[in-house]
This record gives sequence, C-alpha cells and structure tokens, in this order.
Amino acid sequence: MKSKGIVVKRILFWVVTLLVLAGILFPLLWIYLTAFKSSNDIFAGTLQRQLIFTPTLENFKRLFVQFPFFRSMGNSLIISISSTVLVMVIALPAAYSFARWNTGGGHILFNTIASRMFPGAVAAIPFFLIYRALHLLDTHIGLILLFMYFNVSFATFLLYGFFRDVPVELEQAAMIDGYGRFAIFRKIVLPLVLPGIATTSVFCLIWSWNEFLYSFLFTRNAAKTITVLISSFWGSIEVQYGTMAAGAAISILPTLIAAWFMQRYIIRGLTFGAVKG
Amino acid sequence: MVEVRLENVTKLYGRKLAIDDISFTCKEGEFFSILGPTGAGKSTILKMIAGIEPITSGKIYFDDLVVNNLLPHERNVSMAFESYNLYSHFNVYENIAFPLRAPKWQLNLSKEEEKKKVTEIADFLGIGKLLDRKPQNLSGGQKQRVSLARALVRKPQVYLLDEPIAHLDAKLKFTTQTLLREFAVNYGSTIIYVTHDYREALALSDNMMVLRKGKIDQLGTPEEIYHAPKIDFVGMLVGEPPMNMVDGSLISREGKTFFKAGDSFEFELLKDTEINARKHAVIKENNSIVRLGVRCEYIKVSDQKMSDNSFQLPVYAVVHEAESSVITFELENSFLHSRVSRGKGYEDCRITEKVWLEFVQENISFFEKTVELSKA
Repeated sequence: MKSKGIVVKRILFWVVTLLVLAGILFPLLWIYLTAFKSSNDIFAGTLQRQLIFTPTLENFKRLFVQFPFFRSMGNSLIISISSTVLVMVIALPAAYSFARWNTGGGHILFNTIASRMFPGAVAAIPFFLIYRALHLLDTHIGLILLFMYFNVSFATFLLYGFFRDVPVELEQAAMIDGYGRFAIFRKIVLPLVLPGIATTSVFCLIWSWNEFLYSFLFTRNAAKTITVLISSFWGSIEVQYGTMAAGAAISILPTLIAAWFMQRYIIRGLTFGAVKG
Repeated sequence: MVEVRLENVTKLYGRKLAIDDISFTCKEGEFFSILGPTGAGKSTILKMIAGIEPITSGKIYFDDLVVNNLLPHERNVSMAFESYNLYSHFNVYENIAFPLRAPKWQLNLSKEEEKKKVTEIADFLGIGKLLDRKPQNLSGGQKQRVSLARALVRKPQVYLLDEPIAHLDAKLKFTTQTLLREFAVNYGSTIIYVTHDYREALALSDNMMVLRKGKIDQLGTPEEIYHAPKIDFVGMLVGEPPMNMVDGSLISREGKTFFKAGDSFEFELLKDTEINARKHAVIKENNSIVRLGVRCEYIKVSDQKMSDNSFQLPVYAVVHEAESSVITFELENSFLHSRVSRGKGYEDCRITEKVWLEFVQENISFFEKTVELSKA
C-alpha cells in the first residue's frame, strides 16, 4: 500500500511539474521558433511543418532595416536604467529611514505603497493632461519620471524589509567604534543590504523594461520603447507575426538573463525581507 | 582614562522603570563590576554610559564632564557586546581593525602599525590564527573573543564589557579572565564589567555592585559583598551553594536569647550576634521575626555534640566534590547546605542520619526579608 502511495505521489508530481513547465516554456518556444520562420511556415497547418522548417533570418532583417528597432531598444535602455538608478537614490535613504526611525509612524510608508494599489490606468488621464501642459509627452525624462513614480514605492517597501534585517546593535557598535551616521551607512549597512539592493534593482529594471501601458500612451516617436514598437506590428491591415516574434525574441533576453543570474539572490531576497517582520 | 560617575540616573522604557535612581562612581583605573540576575538592567547601564541608550533623568560624568548629550563616538569609549555584534561582511582582522581606522580618533596608523596592534591583541586572546576568517565561520566562543579584541584594541577613556566571557567554555573562561585581569593591571584602564556570574565579579573587580530590578542592592569590594552582604538577595546571588537563609524568630528565656527556626532547630545566640539580630528583627504578632544567613563553610558538622549551641538535624543529601563535600539538610521552606573540606570534618555521614550542627557565630548575618525562599 505504502509503495503505491509513493508511486501515485511521484506521478502527480511529474504531471504537475510538466504542466507548469509547458505553460512557461510554450510561449517562449513559440516566440523563438516563429522568429526564425518564413511567413509561409508560420501558418503551416501540420504540427510536423510547425516544428521542422528551414530557418531564416528574414524577420530579423526586416526588423532591423524597416523599423527603428535599435533606437527603441536604446530608448528602453536609457529609460529603464536611468529610472532604476534614480529610484534607488530616493528609495535607499527613504527605506533606511522608515526601517531605522519608523519615520511617519508607519503612515507615510503605507501611503507610499498605497500608490501601487489602484490600477495604473486610473492615473493615466490626469498624468496625460499634466504631461501635455508640461511638454513632457514623448520625452525620455517624462517616462523616467513616470516609472520613478511607480517604482519608488515598490522599491522602498522591498528595501525596507532588508534594512529591518540589519540589527541596530551593529550600528551602535560602529558608533562606539568612532564612526558617524553617514560612515556607518556606507561601511556597515550598505554592504549588508547589497543582496537587497541587487534584487530591488533587478525588479525595477525588469518592470521598467516590460512596461507597456504608459509607454504606449505617452510616447510617439522620440521616446518610443521596445514594447510599444513590438505592439505596432499588430497593425490594422495585417499582423506581422514573424517580425513581432523576432522583436520579442531579442527584447526578452535581458530580462531572462537578469532573472537567471539573479535567481539565487531574488529568492533569498524576497524571503529574507518577508519572513521577519 | 577617566572616572565615570552616575548621579541619580533613571531610565524608563515607555512606562516601565528599567533603572531606578542609581548613583555610583567607578574611579579612574578601577575594575568595576555590575553583578545581577537577568533583567536587572546591567546592560542598560552600560548602554547609557556608552551613549547608545538615552537616559530619562540624572547625569553621567566622565571626570567633570557631563556626557548626557554626547553621541557615542564623541564619548570615546569602547564596548564588547554580549551579542558580539561583529560585522559579518568583514573578516576577523577587519573587525578588530575597524575602531583603529575611525577618523574620529585620528590615529592615522600605517598598515604595519595597524597590523601590529591587531595581531598583538588577537594573539593575546588566542585568536591570532583566525584573522582571515569571516564571523560566520567562527564558534560562539571565538566570536566572543573577537568582539572582546575589538573592544580592547584601542585605548579609550573607559572600557565597557558586557558579559564578555559568558559564552566561553569553562577552561577558556578561566584563562581569559586571567588575561583580562592582566590587561587591566598593565594599562591601568577604567573598566566597567557586566556579568551575571558572581565568580567573575569576585575574581576580577576592585569594586562591584549588585543590581536587582534596576536598583542597587549593595556597593562594595568583592570581600564585602561575599562576607558581609547587606541584603539577603546579595547573599543568595553570590556563592555556590548560595548563602543559606533560615527564617526564624528570636526567643528570650532565662535571660538568654535563642534563634528558633520553626520546628527544625534552635540554638542560643551569643551577645554580639544577638545585638546584630535585634537590629534586623521585625515584630509581628508578638514575635521577633528575622532571617538568618550563614555561608556553607561556616556550618560545622559532627557526629558528636560540639557545644551547648549545637543542634541536630537529619542528613538529606551528600555530594562529594574534589576538595570538599556538601551536606544538605532539609528545613521547612529551604535547604541548608554545609561544606566540609576533605578530611576536616564529618563528611562520611549517611542519608537520614541525625548529625550535630553548629553555626560559627561571628559569621552569621541577619537580614530583613526581601525575597521569598523556596526549595527549588
């Protein structure tokens, strides 16, 4: 009886694992296969022709030549990296202050995170009007400011957990050893929350890189990001699946690589901050 | 080095009174211990002197300077924490060198000078071989010695040591204790030392105080604390086994005064002892109630009656140790322990055997009752 139970358990384990894996891998597989197919192969009816085809680079060629792909990618890079750096500049001291001195007695911290509790679309129209008045539409700085608005709260909250895990006694020891507040932050606290900073930065980067709604509404040409460009292949006349897949194949690479390298940190980082209140 | 003086210092945590109007002086170059049970407020006092815990009222002086409003790094103290508080991203060397590198002290040591100082103190404490390790890879005892080394590497105005050897094993504890004493004598340092172990306090201190629930029970030299406790709690905190406490009453008969311990025993008090006893006695329902304290080494045990002041009790337990035996007798609400040195008394008694006891009267203390007795 016992061994039967174990077998059932094992089968169930693999069934669920494979289902989850298929759910994650299928879209990726589709993107990477489609990116290398000619338009004829994309719509082939049989499974055999779906999987076995002559690879071609024509989608990539079209993407690079006919569309401002590299410019959009550059825009995405500039916007996501700048916004992440600025977010950290604000969120680090803010989170430290919340964690160490309970600044605002918890209310400010809650208000910070509350800005993430309504759907992004709610704020879109007022922001649009403000941006039009300030001439910030279709500018890098405009999107950077927007992404900061959304990510500062999230980053502060995540970093808050990391700072809380640094024992205050360590800082007291350093004070007695002869160091002032700023030196302690730099020499003791910062190195200890480095995994947290890495985790938070990666999250902000990925979020900014993938952001679509605001990029779509607030940019036209000059600051058009990669997600917006890819969506434009879904035209009113035809849907350019091949080009779309090629664009996606490239644009998801940075996030995939970041997640791969940081997975150890991210998992540790998330549980690290979360478990101890 | 400075003299540290606390004047009417009080500390409230919210509404909880942690330190209650404390005043004491640790003279320049003195080894001063604060002894007390867990939760007495010992560490709080150290933290207040260090400046990492603000005081609610009162004044702390370093010589003639009030330091109340000075930040920790402006007070020039060093501290070893009970919880080590090592910097986990530094190795042992960097941990110990950290205070030396603080710009505040303007030591401006060259690499060689710094290395010399760090290795000197590390070797002194027997952790010279661990300098490259990270704190995560050290045992509790090793971490504790690193923390101690970090505190001792610099020459501050005063050293604050919070249970710095509590987590060492017995043998290391003894050697480190010897080293600390050597350090204190060599450098004439002002050291304030917190411990819950009376042995450390007695062995190391020039002066000490016993703290209970944020109040000072007794201030004095180790000899005074051990031999002349002013309060029953002090007697019971110091000594192994602790000072025997017997609740009883004073009875006058035919011009003599007897101490009667319930139904267990009674014996006559000599004149001086009686005067002392009367001072502490409390009249309750026509009885003079008093608590008698006597250290185990001042209870003589014999199989024969020794004098008119001897009395008989049945033996409850006998424990033979290397150099002495502890014979235990059961009383109404406590035990009575007697220590008999090897070959110097009746140590081979059997359990339940009725033997003769006698207290050495010069060494009897009397107290008012401040703690409940229990057999636990």
